[in-house]
Amino acid sequence: MNRSSTLQHSLMLTPLIGATDSWLTALGVWVMFIVVISAYGVGMAVLRPKLVPNARLIAGILLAATLTSCAEMAAQVWALQWHQHAGIFAGLIALQCVVLDHTGFFQSAWRERLRLCGLFGALMLALGLREFIGYSGLHLATLVPGGFILLGLLIAAWQAWARPNPSH
Amino acid sequence: MNRASSVVILLVLAGLGIGATYLVQQRSAPRIATEQRAIDSRNLLDLLPADSYDNQPLDQPLRLDNVVLSNSTLLGGYLATKAGQPAGVLLRSQTVGYAGSIELLVAIGANGKLLGVKTLRQSETQGLGARIADWPNAWLGGFTGKSRNEPADNGWALKQDQGQFDQIAGATITSRAVINAIHDALRYFDEHRQQLIGDSPHE
Repeated sequence: MNRSSTLQHSLMLTPLIGATDSWLTALGVWVMFIVVISAYGVGMAVLRPKLVPNARLIAGILLAATLTSCAEMAAQVWALQWHQHAGIFAGLIALQCVVLDHTGFFQSAWRERLRLCGLFGALMLALGLREFIGYSGLHLATLVPGGFILLGLLIAAWQAWARPNPSH
Repeated sequence: MNRASSVVILLVLAGLGIGATYLVQQRSAPRIATEQRAIDSRNLLDLLPADSYDNQPLDQPLRLDNVVLSNSTLLGGYLATKAGQPAGVLLRSQTVGYAGSIELLVAIGANGKLLGVKTLRQSETQGLGARIADWPNAWLGGFTGKSRNEPADNGWALKQDQGQFDQIAGATITSRAVINAIHDALRYFDEHRQQLIGDSPHE
């Protein structure tokens, strides 16, 4: 794992913990992420060959800012209450676009991109279930520490499943 | 692919980006404002029984501007009417609690009886005073039906202050502030009924 993929992953950690206190918030942020990332990918695929390398970052920032702003306003029109709850995380998607671009996400294979988006969505929705755990009386689950604990448990379960025969 | 064409593309992209954002903003702003209004009225008006009014109270603000009362300040108010007759008023009251200011919405019926109280903003201690923000709220519900003189002035206090109301456990100062603010609002309504709803008591 190099430094830029750490940056990419830690940026994803923010919505994973912050925007998953309700399932709908988590779903909404993920859908918005997919829409904006796809549009950004298409836009940059057109622009990239036409630009000198130095100009690509600026173009990426302009495109990401435009797409995220428009998506945020559309979200406000359709679901203002959702946006008031999740708006700050929706804004972060612009930064995620630029960082993903920087780490070569849009040059990687289709399967690889789908895998990252799918994994992000699965984790968002799994952590979003904290809302229902909270309803059943475990209030800690809906708080930020509860998010970290559940994420830790999920990663531990994944590790245990992926390596059934640990070597000693 | 050269420097000059890249600069041109960047400028076009910036122009398109600003233009698109501006257009979307122009088109969505009125709808967002309408939606915000609907959310506000849902949040503010759920303390009135649904069949007790038929106007849009938020569109009928009362002319109140920082009226300073003995324990609180009235920031504003709204008039609820039914079939053109005043049904009650909503007063936004601000008082000082334990940790900071508390903003309450106090609904008073045209008969001077309290219809409900709701906390709009507070910064009291988590788990203690902050429980005034829970909604629906059993403690605040206990004031429904009371009026300025029922109980009498000395009854409008906590039991530990020889009054008749329970307090929120562990939050004496918060409870005292809320009770005094509610009593203030009821007293103000009683004394300014004519000006607020334009009629006199029916008794």
